[in-house]
Amino acid sequence: MPKYVMVIDVERCIGCMACVIACKKENNVADGYFRTRVVEEVRGEFPYLKMELRSELCNHCENAPCIDACPTRASHRAKDGTVQIDKKKCIGCKACILACPYDARYSTPEGVADKCTFCEHRIKEGKKPACVETCLGKSRIFGDLDDPNSEVSQLLKKHDAAVRLEFAGTKPRVFYINKKFAGGL
Amino acid sequence: MSITRRNFLKIAAATGGLAIAGTSTVTSVLGLGKKPVSLPQYIPTTCEMCFWRCGVIAKVVDGKVVKLDGNPLHPNSRGKLCARGHGGIGLLYDPDRLKTPLINTGARGEAKFKKASWDEALGFVADKMQKIKEKYGAESIALLTHGTISTYFMHLLQAFGSPNFAMPSFALCRGARGVAFELTFGEDVGNPERLDIQNSKVVVLIGSHLGENAHNSQCQEFAEAVGKDATVIVVDPRFSTAAGKAKYWLPIKPATDLALLLSWINVIINEGLYDKEYVAKYTSGFNEVAMAVKEYTPEWAEKETDIPSSLIVDTARVIGKNRPHVLIHPGRHTAWYSDNVQRQRAVAILTALLGAYGRPGGIYLSPKKKLEPVFLSDKDYPEPQKPALNKGDYPFAGEEGVTHVIVKATLTEQPYPIKGWFITGTNIMKAMPNQRDTLSAIQKLELLVAVDMMPYDGVMLADVVLPECTYLERHDDLFTVKERAFGISIRQPVVQPMYDSKPGWWIAKELGKRLGLEDYFPWNTFEDFLKMKCETWGIDYSELVKKGYISFPESEAPYITSDNQPKFKTPSGKIELYSKELKEKGFDPVPKYTKHKQPPEGWFRLIYGRAPVHTFSRTTNNPSLWELMKENTAWVNAKVAKKMGLKNEDYIVLINQDGVKSNKVRIKVTERIREDCIYLVHGFSSTSKLLHRAYLRGADDQQLITKYDIDPISGSVGMRVNFVKISKEV
Amino acid sequence: MIEIGITGTNTITFPYLEVWDWRIVLYLFLGGLSAGMLVMCSIANLRIPKQPVEELAQCVRAPLIAFIVLAVGALFIIFDLGSPFNLIWGYLTFQPLSLMSWGTWGVPIVLFANALYILAVIPKDQRHRLKFSFLIKISEKLALKMRPIAKLNFALGIFLGIYTGVLLSSFSAIPLWNNATLPILFLISALSSGAAMIVIIAKKAEIKFLFTKIDIWLIVAELVVIALFFYGLYTSTAPYKKAIEPFFSLTSEHFIFTVALIAIFLLLPLALRIKLGELKEFQNEVHEEFTKAQIFRMNFAAVLVIAGTLILRAAIVYAGQLTKLSPY
Repeated sequence: MPKYVMVIDVERCIGCMACVIACKKENNVADGYFRTRVVEEVRGEFPYLKMELRSELCNHCENAPCIDACPTRASHRAKDGTVQIDKKKCIGCKACILACPYDARYSTPEGVADKCTFCEHRIKEGKKPACVETCLGKSRIFGDLDDPNSEVSQLLKKHDAAVRLEFAGTKPRVFYINKKFAGGL
Repeated sequence: MSITRRNFLKIAAATGGLAIAGTSTVTSVLGLGKKPVSLPQYIPTTCEMCFWRCGVIAKVVDGKVVKLDGNPLHPNSRGKLCARGHGGIGLLYDPDRLKTPLINTGARGEAKFKKASWDEALGFVADKMQKIKEKYGAESIALLTHGTISTYFMHLLQAFGSPNFAMPSFALCRGARGVAFELTFGEDVGNPERLDIQNSKVVVLIGSHLGENAHNSQCQEFAEAVGKDATVIVVDPRFSTAAGKAKYWLPIKPATDLALLLSWINVIINEGLYDKEYVAKYTSGFNEVAMAVKEYTPEWAEKETDIPSSLIVDTARVIGKNRPHVLIHPGRHTAWYSDNVQRQRAVAILTALLGAYGRPGGIYLSPKKKLEPVFLSDKDYPEPQKPALNKGDYPFAGEEGVTHVIVKATLTEQPYPIKGWFITGTNIMKAMPNQRDTLSAIQKLELLVAVDMMPYDGVMLADVVLPECTYLERHDDLFTVKERAFGISIRQPVVQPMYDSKPGWWIAKELGKRLGLEDYFPWNTFEDFLKMKCETWGIDYSELVKKGYISFPESEAPYITSDNQPKFKTPSGKIELYSKELKEKGFDPVPKYTKHKQPPEGWFRLIYGRAPVHTFSRTTNNPSLWELMKENTAWVNAKVAKKMGLKNEDYIVLINQDGVKSNKVRIKVTERIREDCIYLVHGFSSTSKLLHRAYLRGADDQQLITKYDIDPISGSVGMRVNFVKISKEV
Repeated sequence: MIEIGITGTNTITFPYLEVWDWRIVLYLFLGGLSAGMLVMCSIANLRIPKQPVEELAQCVRAPLIAFIVLAVGALFIIFDLGSPFNLIWGYLTFQPLSLMSWGTWGVPIVLFANALYILAVIPKDQRHRLKFSFLIKISEKLALKMRPIAKLNFALGIFLGIYTGVLLSSFSAIPLWNNATLPILFLISALSSGAAMIVIIAKKAEIKFLFTKIDIWLIVAELVVIALFFYGLYTSTAPYKKAIEPFFSLTSEHFIFTVALIAIFLLLPLALRIKLGELKEFQNEVHEEFTKAQIFRMNFAAVLVIAGTLILRAAIVYAGQLTKLSPY
C-alpha cells in the first residue's frame, strides 16, 4: 500500500500561483473556491525582512479530525491512505470544515464539503497531482513515502521537515522543508 | 505492487509528452448502461497569455477546452505553465469578449457601438483608408501593434505603402536593453533572454522582480538556482518576492541604479576581480572604462544610493569572486529614466568584465542555425513616398519603432500628418504614458481601427472594432525559438472560433482584398502558408502539428570553448566596453552617472511592476485570473502610513504632480517598501465599461504617468519620473 | 510586524470561519431549552414519591412544549444542511466520534421518548383531545408507566443538554469551543432556561415556587461556570488565550461580543435578584393565588434567564469562529 505524501520545499516557491489555478482547472473547482492556496508571510522591519512563501492544501492527516467529525462516513480514508469525500453521502453539515485546523475544506455551491483530493484521478493514471506537475519552482514534490528511493523519501531523510500545527496532533502528510526560515507553520 | 507503480510513473514521465500529444481523435466509448463518455483530445499549440510563448497542450472534451498544460518538449514551458497560462481558458470563455465587428456611431471615442457585419466593417475601413491615402498619402496611416498579430498588419501596412508602425515593446519596455547589448556585444540577449540562471552561482536582479514577473522557464531556472544555494542579490526599492530569496537585498534609492553599477565596476576593477584573460581576449576599451569609473567609489555611491558602502563592496566581491558564473539580469522593462541605454550599458560592461557572456551561469550564446526567411508574399512592398517617421530622431531606435513618436507626429502633424491609426494587440491607454496626449491625438485622426479580442480601454476609442479570435482558436506564424537549442513552435486552433471573431491573418487578408492588395496574400488559408514554410525549411508539418514543437539539438552551443569562439557583430568585432558608435553620435562612450530628480517632501516616487497572475491590463478581466487578484493595492511604507494615520486596506486616492487623480485604491501598509516610494501593480482600473470585472477596479499607474523622460540614444521612455501624494478623500 | 498575504482563500474559512450561523444558534438554544424543560418537568413529576400514579403528573404541559421546541430546533439544523436529502446516510451508520452522528440519532430518540412522556402525563379529562382511539389507548397504558418514562426523559434531557455543548467542544480546531467546561456550561444554562420556561408556563404556585428555587442555584452555578470558562481559556496557551479576546475587545469589530458578555452578566444577576425577592415573599406563606405583579415579576425574571441563554449561545457560536488554531 503506498503512502502518498507531498513535500513542499518552501525556498523554491517563487509565488507564481500556477498551482492555485492549475488545481482549479484540473478539478473543475467552482468559481470563488480554492483547494490550495499560497501564503506569503513576511516578518521583520525595513530593511531587515524575511519572507516565506508556503503553499497549503489538505494535509491528508493520518489522524484526521474531519473523518472523526463526519456523521455519514462521507469523509473517509481511501484505500491509498488519502482522505477523500464521498459527495453522495455528504449531508452538508459542515462539521468537517470546522474540525479541520488547516482550513482545507469548503462548501460547494451544491452544498457538500469539498477539498483537495491529491488529484486521486491523476495518481491512479500514474501522473502527479496537477499542482505538482505545473509547479514552476519544483517546490511541490509528490510521491510514495513507503518507497525508500522516491524523491520524497530522499528529501525527508535529508532534511528536518516540519508540518503545519504539529501540536494539533493530526499527523499531516504534507511536509515543509526550509533551511533558512520557517514562519508560522 | 508499488514497484510496478513506480515503473509506470517513470515510463509515464518519459513518454508522457509524446503519448499525450499523439492522441488526436475524439472517440466516444459506450460504457455499459452509462452515458457515452467523450475521450479528451490533446492538441499542442503556443500560448499567448504573455509574450514568453510557451508550448501548451490543450485538453479538449466535447469541443470545450478544459485544461491547459505545458508542453514538455518546449523549452519555454518544460511541461509547466504559469498561472496566466492556465488562465487561457478564462480568456477563451470570457463573456465580455468582442463578439462581432462594431462601428462607432457617436463622436470619436464615444463608444456608441452598433453591430456590423464583417463585410460592412471591412468595407468601411478600406474606404476610409483609400480616402486618407488620396488626401495625405499612404504614410499617414500608422500602426501601433504588439504580439503575433503584428505579422499580418505590418505586412498589410507596408503593402499599402506606409512604414509607420511602432510596438510598445521597444520604447516602453525592452528597447533600451536591446540597444545597450547590441552596442556592447553586437547582439541583444534575446526574447526569452539567453540567461543560464540554472547554473549561476550569483544572480543579480537589478530592477527585475522575477517571480512576480512570471516568465515561465526563467522562473524555473531561478528556482533551480535558489535550490542550489546560489547567492541572490536583489536591488529594488521594494522587497519583492525575489528579494525574499536573496542573501543581499539592497533597497536602493530609486533612479540611482547606475551609481551602484558604476561603483560595483569600480570595486571589481580596483580589486582585480575581473576576468583578465577574457577581457584581454574579447573586449576593447578596458582602460577607458577603468579611468571613467575611478570617481565612482563605494563611498560616493553610498551617498547617491542609500546603500552602505560596505555592502556595496561586499556584494561586489561576491560578484567578482564567483566570476564568470554570475548573472547580472539584463532586465526586460528598462524604460525607467532618461539614461536607460547607459544604465543597461553598465550592466553589459559588468557582465563582460566578469567574463560571464558565453560562460556557464552567465549569458549563453545563440544557437547556431540559420533558416532562410520565408515572407508572407514574395511581392516587394511599394517604396514609401515620404520618409518613415516611426524612429524619430533617435539614432539607435530599433526596427520596432517608437510609439511616442507616432503620437507626437499625430498631434503636431509634423513632419507630416498622421490621419489613421490601426491598433492591434495592444491596449494603448494602459501601455503608453500620458493618456491625455493619446486622447488629444486621436481627435486629430480620420480613422481609428482596433483589432483585439477584448474591449480594452484603447479599443473603446475606435471607430471600427474588429474582433480577433483568441490564440486557442487560430493559426499564427511559426515561432522560431532561440533557447539553448533552436526550435520551431506552432500555434494552431484547438477549438473553432467562438462568436463572429476571426483570426488576425484572415482580417488582414480580407482587408487587403478590399484595398486591392490580394497579391500580397497569395495563400488561401494560413495553414497553407505554414505548410509551405515548413516545406522550405525541411520540417515535417504533420510532426509539428502533432508535437507542437520541433527542436534542433545540434544547434546548441551555449558556452565559449576552444572550438566554439564567439563572434561579436560590433564594428571592432570585440565586446565594446568603450563604444565608438556612441561617441560618434555624440553620446558618452562609457556610461556616466546622471542625477535624477528626487521627490520633494510629502511626495512619493510612483513605481510600478507586475503581479504573477496578470499580464499588464490584458488579463485583469479574465475570470480565471481576476479571481486570484481582483484589484491592485498601493504599497505604502508602514512608518509613512502610521504618520499619516492610514490603516491597512483603507481606500486612498493618489494624486500626481500634474494634479491627476487616480481611482480609489486600497492601501497595503507594509515594511516592504522604502519610505519615498509608492508601488502599484500595473494594468488595473480599466475605464472600459464592457469589461465587467475589471471596470474601475484598483488604480491605474499609467494614468498617473503624465510625465515621461526620453532617452536620446534610443528613444526609450522613462516612466519612473512621476511623483504622487496620498489623499484620504476617496 | 508580520504581513500575511494569501492567494486562493475561501470566504467560508477566510479571514475567519463563517461556517455555522444563526440557524445553529437556534438549534443549540432550542435543543438546550427543550432539554432543560424535560429535566425540570421530570423533577416536578418525580419529586413526591409513592403518590398514587393517577395524581403523579403535576407538570403536564412542559413535555408537549419541550417536544415542539426541540422539533423546531431540529428543523433549523436541517435548514442549515447543504444536502439534507443525503441524511439517509446518517441513519445507515453510527459514528461514535462524530457528534453530528450522535445528534442524528439522539434527537429523534429524544423526540420519541418525549412523545411517550406527553402521552403518559396527559390528564384523563384531556385525553379526548388525542383524537385517535389508539393514541388514547396508548396514553392510558403509558400513564401507569409515568415514573420510568419521566426518569428516561430526565436522563435524555441531561444527554441533550450536554450534547449541545459537546457538539461545539469536540472541535479541536476551534480554541474557544474546545474545552471541557463548555458542555457543563451549556448543560447548566440549558437547565436554567428550562426551569425558567417552566416558571412561565406553570399555573400552580407550588411549581412556580419550586422552579424559582431551583433556578436560583442554577443561575449561581452558571455565573460561576462562565467565569471559570473564561479563566480556563485565559490561563491556557496562546491560541486559547486569544480566543476570548473578542469578549474583552473595545474595537468596533468585536464590540458586540463584549456587549453580549455584559448583557449576560446583567441579565442573569438581575433575574437572580428578582427570584431572591420572590423567594422571600414565598417563604412567609405559599399563596394559592398570585397577584398580577408577582406573576409579572416571575415571568420577567424567567424571560431574562432565557434571553441570557440565547445570547450566551449566539456569542459563543459566533466568537468561536473568529479564532483558529492557526495564526491566520
